[in-house]
Amino acid sequence: MKTSYLLPHKYKIVGWILFVIGLIVGCFLFFGEYETDALTINVLSIFNEGDIFGGKKGYFKIVENSIVDELVTLAIIFGGLLVGFTKEKVEDEFIYKLRNDSLVWAIIFNYMVLVFTILFVYDFTFFHVLVFNMFTPLMFFVIRFNFLRLKSTSYEE
Amino acid sequence: MKNRIKVERAEIDITQANLAAKIGVSRQSINAIEKGKYVPSAVLALKIARLFKKPVEDIFTLEDQD
Repeated sequence: MKTSYLLPHKYKIVGWILFVIGLIVGCFLFFGEYETDALTINVLSIFNEGDIFGGKKGYFKIVENSIVDELVTLAIIFGGLLVGFTKEKVEDEFIYKLRNDSLVWAIIFNYMVLVFTILFVYDFTFFHVLVFNMFTPLMFFVIRFNFLRLKSTSYEE
Repeated sequence: MKNRIKVERAEIDITQANLAAKIGVSRQSINAIEKGKYVPSAVLALKIARLFKKPVEDIFTLEDQD
């Protein structure tokens, strides 16, 4: 079946490696309260409104920043995209349908969880919700898709 | 939509995996179609019928709620 925007199957393993490493390092960062000075380099900040994190207001400035969290975020996002949007070993219309169904399920589920946290999580704790919400749509999708795929693999009669 | 794939498969004695490989789909697809969890596209239905050398209506039939 022709599927225009799926990458070849060989990239899936790259995706899983990035995704898992990203999640593991991400958990360490999260439980370490995001504080690290590792890999501090000069980066381009196109806009900073001057905020609680101590940045100064301004446009297009070179600032110092530890890029560990940026790298972890990108690893999870690219990893998740590769895992979710590469072809399966045998890609056909049924797998394609599973993928689409999982996407719809993941988006709805994600926003239901978000609505719940909007109603019942307040103050700075909600910041954690926002951080997690960068990744949860992809994570729910990957989990749901693989769950459905493995479920339909089971038992031949 | 009902189908007789399982029966047809038994008649010529091939497994789900064999059938899937011959048509070029995943075994999950054949499994899901047999269980009635997935309605194949017209193309896939025609391919399955061709493999069993029967008209597509002999293998796939509409049900009342379709």
